Amino acid sequence: MDDKQVKVTGLFKDEHQAAGTITAVKDSAWKLIDVHGPIPSEVISNALKLRPSMVGWFALAGGIIGFLCGYFLAVFTATRWDLIVGGKPIMAYVPFFIVGFEFTILFAVMGNILGLILLMKLPAYRDLADYSPDCSGEHFGVVVGCDIRDEAEVKTLLADRGAEIRT
Amino acid sequence: MKNLSYADIDNTVLGTLQPAGRLYWLTIVLLFGGILIGMGCWAYLIFFGIGVGGQNNPCFWGTYIINFVFWVGIAHSGTLISAILHLLRAGWRNPIARAAETMTVFAVCTAGLFPLLHVGRIWVIYYMLPLPSQRTLWPNFQSPLIFDMVAISTYLTVSALFWYTGLIPDLAIIRDRSTGVRQNIFKILSLGWTGKFEQWRHYSRIYLMFAALATPLVISVHSVVSWDFALGITPGWHTTIFAPYFVAGAIHSGLAMVLTLMIPLRKIFKTEKIITMNVLESVAKTIVFTGLIVGFAYGTEQFIAWYSHNIVEVETFHYRTFGHYALGFWIMVICNSIVPLLFFFKSIRTSIPWLLVISILVNIGMWFERFVIIITSVAHDFIPHTWGTYSPTLVEFGIMLMSFSMFFFLFLLFVKHMPSISMTEMKELVHEEQSHG
Repeated sequence: MDDKQVKVTGLFKDEHQAAGTITAVKDSAWKLIDVHGPIPSEVISNALKLRPSMVGWFALAGGIIGFLCGYFLAVFTATRWDLIVGGKPIMAYVPFFIVGFEFTILFAVMGNILGLILLMKLPAYRDLADYSPDCSGEHFGVVVGCDIRDEAEVKTLLADRGAEIRT
Repeated sequence: MKNLSYADIDNTVLGTLQPAGRLYWLTIVLLFGGILIGMGCWAYLIFFGIGVGGQNNPCFWGTYIINFVFWVGIAHSGTLISAILHLLRAGWRNPIARAAETMTVFAVCTAGLFPLLHVGRIWVIYYMLPLPSQRTLWPNFQSPLIFDMVAISTYLTVSALFWYTGLIPDLAIIRDRSTGVRQNIFKILSLGWTGKFEQWRHYSRIYLMFAALATPLVISVHSVVSWDFALGITPGWHTTIFAPYFVAGAIHSGLAMVLTLMIPLRKIFKTEKIITMNVLESVAKTIVFTGLIVGFAYGTEQFIAWYSHNIVEVETFHYRTFGHYALGFWIMVICNSIVPLLFFFKSIRTSIPWLLVISILVNIGMWFERFVIIITSVAHDFIPHTWGTYSPTLVEFGIMLMSFSMFFFLFLLFVKHMPSISMTEMKELVHEEQSHG
């Protein structure tokens, strides 16, 4: 953002007011930069038209890789000591599913964590610069970017909709 | 709950993080003393060998395995509350979910100590890992003990990650309300969380995925622990009922431990507005349910032994009920399946002293359940001339003291330095209740 651009944050206690403001800003020439909140809100997510997260695919991929790793680790280790005991076969295919299952869950969770890091872009210490600490308490923060000459107008828009203003 | 504001929730929970008084630190020092005693006993065990315990032929498994199973059981309620009840949308779980998850993580850590102790020669513990060692032998993945190692390490990893992921928004709240070094610490721990809706979009799904993955895991872990026994041919162990029986027992003991911890905690931290009587009552009702399952399992075991006409099985269960360890058996039956029935009375399940006393009795009963299952079966095997008895030594009592001290030490440190109630989940609960009138 160059020198002529500013960011104005409107803090709302009510999610419906915040959602209405989001729609208004999206319909305007100003830029909706971010919306912060203390809890996930369906009303605000709908106003932002957010699509469902793709993190499930990370978990699925992790789960499949995990099962294959677990099952074939058990198979591989059995072949390393191929001494027949009690006439039983070297490969215990059914019990190996237990190892496969545990690895499925472990790797699916690792996939989930990888999704957290990649999709949520965490750690994100730089984001703290544009963030109002009130948003972790009880406010929904709508951050609007505009030309410096429109700043007053944006503040009026936010204030008219019930926001406390932070710049 | 509806009358609570978000600020009330933050203030109440952040109030629990205020500097602690002398009594708190005295308790911490005492618990640390308990840990030191146990460490001394462990050092003695390492120096003189595994024989310093009461284990003998035929009772090769004693308190190390009893405590292992006990602590794994305690660990189960955390995942039940945070994962299964989350999927079932049970709102009463929210105030106690964080404490229960914390309990899970520390209980699994405590449980994990016992296999290390039980092998005696701790320095060759890497034999359990799937590594090609100097013996050119790999672990045997057909063995339930190796299933168990895989299951417990997966459970510890998953519950720790689930717990930390749940903590992130709350760590950000503390960061935003603190200054100086403390703020910097929480800034790092909260990973720069800002509650952007782009973050919430993924976070909600990630949390749901965690719950969905942890649910089958929690069922599998105690099933796998039960197979440590059930896959052996020892009478009293070799039965298909063991997996569901162990899972129900684990949840039973875990819920009782939740009550034992939550009741003093809500009083000390003055969080009665958040951890309401309704929450405690809901836990008590769930204990009635798990107690009935456990009681049914006790009855089924006895019935099947009688109905099978297998003389070894009949003798084993006769020995359990009337033999050397009959006192343990009756403590188990009374504390686990009869005493919890008192929760059918509303006046009892809404009385704090009754809740506390019954929860402690269930914990005692569940410890004895593990004692009875393990000891009576190995002490009274197939061949009468190999029958024997077992009693723990002072070394084992010292190590047991260490396990309880370590669990409470870690838990107390956590509740004073981290949010023991999830502020975010409480806000979500209040938001939901207010939205639905």
